[in-house]
Amino acid sequence: MSTLALWIPLLPLLSAAALAAVSLSGRGRRTVPALAVLPIAAAAVLTFVVLVGHGTGAATESRIRYAATGGPELWLGARVDGLAALIAVLVGVVATAVQLYSVSYMAHEERYTSYSALISLFTAAMLVVVYSTDLLVLLVGWEVMGACSYFLIGHHWERPEARGASIKAFLVTKFGDVPFLLGILFLAHGAGTFRVQPILQHAIQQGGHGYTAAGAILLIGGVMGKSAQVPLQTWLPDAMAGPTPISALIHAATMVAAGVYVVARLYPVFLVTPAALWILAIAATLTTVTAALSAFAQRDLKRILAYSTVSQLALMVAALAAGGRDAAVFHLMSHGGFKALLFLGAGVIIHKAGTGDVDELNTQDLRRKLPVTFITMTIGLAALAGVPPFSGFFSKESIAGAAYDTATHSGPTKSLLGLTPPAGIGWLVLVATLLTGFLTAAYALRTWLMLFGPLERGWFRSAVELSQRQPQAPAPSGVSMAEAEAKAETEVAPPTAADAAAGSEWALEALVAESIREKTAAEVAAAADASASAEAAKATKAKTKVRTGPEAPRAELLPLVVLAAVTTVFGFAGLNLGWFASWLGDADGNAYHAKAAEAGKLIQPADAYHLGPGLLSILLALLALALGLGVVLVAARAKPGTDPNHVLGFLRKPAFLGFRADDLQDAVVVRPTQAAADAVGFLDTEVVDAYVRGSGHAARLLGEGLRRIQTGNVQLYLTGVLTGVVVIAAALGFGR
Amino acid sequence: MHAIYPLTLAALLFAVGVYGVLARRNAVAVLMAIELLLNAVNLNLVTFSSLLRDQYGMGQVFTIFLITVAAAETGLGLAIVLLLYRNRGTAAIDDARELGEDGALGLKRVPPQADGDGNGNADAANTATATAARTPKAVTK
Amino acid sequence: MKALLLAMLLVPLAGIAVLYLLPRDVAERSATRVGFYAGGAVLVLAAALACVFDYTKTGYQAGVNWNWIPALHIRFQLGVDGISLPLVLLTALLSALCFFYSIRHMPDGGSQRSYTALLLLLEIGMLGTFLAADLILFFVFFEIVLLPMWALIAYWGTDGAKAAANKFILYTLLGSAVMVVGFLVLFAYADSFDMAWLTAHARGDVPKGAALTAFALIALGFAVKTPMFPLHTWLPDAHTAAPTTGSVLLAGVLLKMGTYGFVRIAVPILPQAAPTYAPALAAFGVVGVIYGSLACLSIARKPDGDLKRLIAYSSIGHMGFVLLGIGSLTTVGMNAALFASVAHGLITGLLFFLVGGLKVRVHSAKLDDIGRALYRRAPKYGVLIAFAAMASLGLPGLAGFWGEVLALFSATRPGTGLTQGSYIAMASIAAVGLVLTATYLLAVVRRVCMGPAATPSEQPVTELTAVETATWTPLVLLTLLAGLWPALLLGITNPAVRVLMKGV
Repeated sequence: MSTLALWIPLLPLLSAAALAAVSLSGRGRRTVPALAVLPIAAAAVLTFVVLVGHGTGAATESRIRYAATGGPELWLGARVDGLAALIAVLVGVVATAVQLYSVSYMAHEERYTSYSALISLFTAAMLVVVYSTDLLVLLVGWEVMGACSYFLIGHHWERPEARGASIKAFLVTKFGDVPFLLGILFLAHGAGTFRVQPILQHAIQQGGHGYTAAGAILLIGGVMGKSAQVPLQTWLPDAMAGPTPISALIHAATMVAAGVYVVARLYPVFLVTPAALWILAIAATLTTVTAALSAFAQRDLKRILAYSTVSQLALMVAALAAGGRDAAVFHLMSHGGFKALLFLGAGVIIHKAGTGDVDELNTQDLRRKLPVTFITMTIGLAALAGVPPFSGFFSKESIAGAAYDTATHSGPTKSLLGLTPPAGIGWLVLVATLLTGFLTAAYALRTWLMLFGPLERGWFRSAVELSQRQPQAPAPSGVSMAEAEAKAETEVAPPTAADAAAGSEWALEALVAESIREKTAAEVAAAADASASAEAAKATKAKTKVRTGPEAPRAELLPLVVLAAVTTVFGFAGLNLGWFASWLGDADGNAYHAKAAEAGKLIQPADAYHLGPGLLSILLALLALALGLGVVLVAARAKPGTDPNHVLGFLRKPAFLGFRADDLQDAVVVRPTQAAADAVGFLDTEVVDAYVRGSGHAARLLGEGLRRIQTGNVQLYLTGVLTGVVVIAAALGFGR
Repeated sequence: MHAIYPLTLAALLFAVGVYGVLARRNAVAVLMAIELLLNAVNLNLVTFSSLLRDQYGMGQVFTIFLITVAAAETGLGLAIVLLLYRNRGTAAIDDARELGEDGALGLKRVPPQADGDGNGNADAANTATATAARTPKAVTK
Repeated sequence: MKALLLAMLLVPLAGIAVLYLLPRDVAERSATRVGFYAGGAVLVLAAALACVFDYTKTGYQAGVNWNWIPALHIRFQLGVDGISLPLVLLTALLSALCFFYSIRHMPDGGSQRSYTALLLLLEIGMLGTFLAADLILFFVFFEIVLLPMWALIAYWGTDGAKAAANKFILYTLLGSAVMVVGFLVLFAYADSFDMAWLTAHARGDVPKGAALTAFALIALGFAVKTPMFPLHTWLPDAHTAAPTTGSVLLAGVLLKMGTYGFVRIAVPILPQAAPTYAPALAAFGVVGVIYGSLACLSIARKPDGDLKRLIAYSSIGHMGFVLLGIGSLTTVGMNAALFASVAHGLITGLLFFLVGGLKVRVHSAKLDDIGRALYRRAPKYGVLIAFAAMASLGLPGLAGFWGEVLALFSATRPGTGLTQGSYIAMASIAAVGLVLTATYLLAVVRRVCMGPAATPSEQPVTELTAVETATWTPLVLLTLLAGLWPALLLGITNPAVRVLMKGV
């Protein structure tokens, strides 16, 4: 099966190449939907074939020599274990769903061709990440994903927030990729190869010190970047400036999960390094709670979902830190499903309503206008909240269970590779999971109420943020709009005008936020915001004109229904020991069945896998759910006419601003870098080059000086010569 | 004979020659001083040749070589001096400073095309001496 | 094969002869075409060389070995091996593309005949540098390159061309003068100028002290050419002033002569001295990475930032990675240096072509004059710029990635006699440079390619022309090819590097 897996990424790659050719030549645009959807669908089918073919067996690998480096060789190869096979299916399915959805969602767009080409390229890259046996090749896919994400976020590059968000996403993740790259290099130095299998063996045999420990800790940087963990979480909410299907595919289901995937893939490396586990646990705990709070406080539907994604990803990372690899992967898969569903549903809503502001959506009677979306979104939100029959409940419950087992050193995780994460991590993660469960239930219910609640216009309107969101002036005409934007770009920070070029667009949202507390910047930001939202409104108005009538085209609803069905039933995969866990296999890539257990201590006995619900964790999870739902219901009744998130109290504003992480990033990284750049710009012309120019001037001055003794008097010259001779003779004579 | 005598003589000759070369203004005198220098060297060559009992007589050979060269050099040098005198009416070598740089120490000169008014008295004086030197001195010497 | 090597040097010479034998007006009219035929012929010859090259052998192939100045032990020795072959191909390709481009885009400044003849002479020098197998012959070709480049900058350049050209030639002449002294020190002990012999007998005759002196002198010469951080200031000026073809060849080939010298001469011939200086090379390389990126960033932030200047500084950053690879004194590092050199030649060549094209369109390379939203005003041009930027920032799957990542790989575990800890620190700092590189390139893409919706006042920009497409497509394809299939290059260089690094 691994041989097949090796060639699967070629399908989307060819699709991307064909689409690029169409895009550049400008001919054959009618073939675009077919070129976009069919190869991806075929790839999805093939990933299924790989999964079934792999079954519950041990990891297989097939590879061809890629390049000699002079040191370890590079291999182009696929290593198929249960984890890779499962995640590849997730990628294939979501990518197909998104391509299908985009056929109608983006069809009116001028740049649909390049857009779908990038999605295809992204799919190829993600499949490379999933299957690759060579870490350096994995890095290739990893960064190509980042680049695709950059281009897709910047798809609407006419809008300043899209421009800023695209660069921010790329740079913040790239910042995480630096340690990630070094980590890969260290692991390769330790094991003498870039291949996964020997690296895992090296880690298991040598333990977590030297190259392995350094590698594990450094890899975390990349995980933080790609999976948007504290302190590199700032890019993901902004990335919602991209088209909604992209948010579903890249920024919810697949790419952001790649960080989690890599940890799971190289799990033994982390497991033998407790320091790495602690770092993961602390970062994840911080992330999951703060992001859940932020999701609670947001007003924009996509930003709610983005923060929720950050929070849920952190939950997976926390599960990994606590030794719950299976639980983490389980949650990754279920989350990929329901979050893609939520985003695609959000896309339908935004297209239909022309806004993503939940406050305005509240008034649109979406429940009746969009019945299919209503039902599927409800399922998605229920899964997000962790309402029992849906997949989210099972996967979250399994995380809590794994954390509890680690905390008490009681459960089967104890025997994982003969190693157990520290009990402290278990307690930390358990608390974080329950707290997040509570918050998630709260903001899921709040979102549902805002979207579909039986409420009148303005019922939940909150005063503070809204004043900034509303376009103040009547919609400006095209020219003045562009001027406003240009003005916003050049005059955002007049003292450092060049900021317009490098930094200030980075966080338009932060600017909006700043304008809340600082009246001085308010006008400029408002102008930018007004122009942007007016532009968006104008665009969507044009769209909605086309689409009166039914809820949405079939191509958009079909993925919703499919994903909703998956979300409903997927959770049960964790119930039976033989199902999910046995397909997933061992952290070391081994098969998981009783016969293999005799082969060595790394192989797990069958009952080691713990995904089925335990009584205690069920109770705790349900308690968190009930509390979360209850708090919001009570809040909604206590103060009618306000957003239920008023229960956050003094936390609401910081949470809305993402706890000022953007400002922190700005102060710690962006501004010092800009200052250093200016310093170097000065240094280079005024100091380094000054020496060079100085040497020229010195030569000229020396010439001027020497000219002066060139009197034309031969006798003077001769006197000089004679003096020289005497001096030399004296030096030679006395030198002895 | 002890070698000290010819060597001392050579040193004295050389010293006289150096003085002549560096201090005399008249080019003919300078040429003569150069002869003194060369002959001091010749004397040294001969002295060391006999002192070291040179098998091939290299000292003598080079002495003869030098005498020849010196003769040629003097001939050429005198010819130049003669031409200089014909052209300028003087054989004083510190008046022949055309190769000096503009603004060099102690040298002020009129640029070839420019006339004197920009540069003041010194240049006027310079040209005056040049014209004055042309007439009587040349004839008397 | 011998004939191929000689023909590669003689064909441009013949081109020059033809140019000056033809009547003046005829020559002026047909100069660029003559240049293109000669350059194209060299490219064909180079391709033929790549075909007949025996990839299983390691040493010099097709060696020409004639007496030249026997009294000084100087021989006319040419040869090609896995290290020089990629660079020879790169040179032939870029030169041919420059000739082709010049047919339509002749820079203002004077006689077409002189321009073409200078380019041809430049090509002889560049090819000869990579083909020479004798130190003095190498030096001669190394110097031949300078004069035509000086003239190209001085007479066909813009914006302070004379001063920039003078700075360029004085700076690099100083470097090569120092370098030739190093060769002579080497000769004083080893009694040979034969590179292959010297490499085979490295560590033999030269005592440590002399080796240290010789290495310092030689390395200084190459460091100016590369250019290494504090010795770089000639580069931005020269690039800003140079005509498009001059910039392309300057960045694409001339800088590689420095790195080639390190890989071919300094390190393998004087391995006993290399560990002493390697940390300094690596450290200056790393400083160059950060410094170059920050300088670029400061240009990208200025409203009147010059794009050509920015790319010149980015070259300093990229060559920093090359120096880091060389400074690691490992086989991987040398492979990385060669790969990065070739990749930089392709990518930066493309970038300079692109900026040159913009300069033709808006008569300026300043960011503000270029304007915004090229994605809309000239979509293919904009996409091409974004592609080149992505390649330049080292996106995996494109050529820029492998050289830099392998340089980092080699630096995290340097050769014997070097402190691993300090190298790891340097590698980490250089890796941060990757982010900075991405920062300024994306800032440029945002300023130039992205932008607001149309305004009536904005100038239209011509879309890619046919000549431009034809000139740049090979570069784009090779960038992709080298990125997707690095074995193509590494497979050629690795055996040869292994042989060179035996003694290190």
